Amino acid sequence: MAQGSGNRSRLLLVILLVTALFFVTLDLRGVSLTKGSRSITQTMLSPVQKTVSTIFSPLGRFLSDVKNFGKTKTELDQALAQNKKLSSQLVLASETKGESAQLNGVLDLAGRGGYKVVAARVIGHGSASSFSQTITINQGSRSGIKKDMTVISQNGLVGLVKNITSTSAIVLLMSDPSFKVGVKITRSQSIGILQGQGNSSYSFVLLDPAGAIKVGDNLVTNGSDNNHPFIPGVPVGHVTVLDNSTAALVQSATVESYANLNDLGVVSVVLAAPAVAPSVPLRPTPNPTVTVLVTPTPTPSTSTTPTVSPSPTTSIKKK
Amino acid sequence: MSPTRIFSTLAFLFILFTIQESAISLIHFPIAGFSLYLAVAISLIAFEDHNGSLVVGFLAGIVLDLSPTSNAPFGQWALILTIVGYLFATNRESFADFTTSPVIFVFFVAAGATMALLMYLGFGTLVGEVNGSINHDLVILFGNALWTIIFTPMYLPALRTVRKISLTSKER
Repeated sequence: MAQGSGNRSRLLLVILLVTALFFVTLDLRGVSLTKGSRSITQTMLSPVQKTVSTIFSPLGRFLSDVKNFGKTKTELDQALAQNKKLSSQLVLASETKGESAQLNGVLDLAGRGGYKVVAARVIGHGSASSFSQTITINQGSRSGIKKDMTVISQNGLVGLVKNITSTSAIVLLMSDPSFKVGVKITRSQSIGILQGQGNSSYSFVLLDPAGAIKVGDNLVTNGSDNNHPFIPGVPVGHVTVLDNSTAALVQSATVESYANLNDLGVVSVVLAAPAVAPSVPLRPTPNPTVTVLVTPTPTPSTSTTPTVSPSPTTSIKKK
Repeated sequence: MSPTRIFSTLAFLFILFTIQESAISLIHFPIAGFSLYLAVAISLIAFEDHNGSLVVGFLAGIVLDLSPTSNAPFGQWALILTIVGYLFATNRESFADFTTSPVIFVFFVAAGATMALLMYLGFGTLVGEVNGSINHDLVILFGNALWTIIFTPMYLPALRTVRKISLTSKER
């Protein structure tokens, strides 16, 4: 009797393992069934994510601030002192202001580059059960977003669109270890490859044997054919540490990105790049000092509040 | 496992998956992140009998494979959690019944979740996934284990109650 039960268990184990391996094989061979199932899941999840994001984003940002407590203790003390004076309504208003500032910043960068962009709110982050680094945004194919489009924030490159549904898209962040982008040094125009490492630092390998890397060098995207996946001239980061290995065949360095990927509230997807790449390398503008006005907030207009259905397409001409 | 309980377990896992993807993933945890889904799935596996562990592991893996942010091949999590289910089922008696002691149970769940993530990394490497530096991966493993140890005692009583309700009279 016990032996029969043991045999049934072994048979069940074999069936389940073979089924799982069958799915893995199908996926690795490119059968669309598995990709379709994830797309359906994303379509089902995105309305829930939008709702939850609207409700819980203040909590998420609060925990993000706690995470950076050691780094920005002074700023946090000031913020906490201010928070004591504010009512819950004003906290929500400052949340909107913060997103508005990010939106203004990203539109400013897009305007200086002459990009045609669509603004989007971040409604989800990658699952902790996978090692990939992604965000989910609340705009999809209905807004003109396609796969492999460049995504920027107010400070520079964020990543590229990995998957889309009609109302949402998943963006692969530039910090993901599988993310690689061709970049060039603005000072010397030498080109190289930047790769994510899963954290806030990036590895940069120079492809130009005659070129040289210096600490503080600014990097911008080099651009791809037909501007997909990367448009040229987007600020990426600056060199912080040189890797002085004499045995290395190529020069390499550690880079810090301009964009803070842990604090993304609003991003923009670049729908179209200008016909000619920006002649002057773009650099992100420093964040302005945020002043919280303790006055009753009127109903916000759509031009300053990304939360109230931002205009799906924002085209800004280069001045 | 009865078909009714398979269905109810699957529905429960879907709800949990939605909470994980839409709410838990929004929280920036100080060290790495926390997968509530993985912790609860391992807990469910630990509660089940031999065959139940295998089936729950497989179902939990299939649901986790649906994650749109995952870059792993579909079926990878099903394979890993089935193996985890098998390991729990075969070794449960070796450590006495750890489900009766909450403290030991919490550490077993943390160990199971860490082992599942390690297997995910190992299998991912075999199929050509890029998962970052060893330091980065170690931080994620440590962070997830830490948060699992902290949060498991909080949801454990509720999970026991839900499971009791879902059991049929014969299974009780």
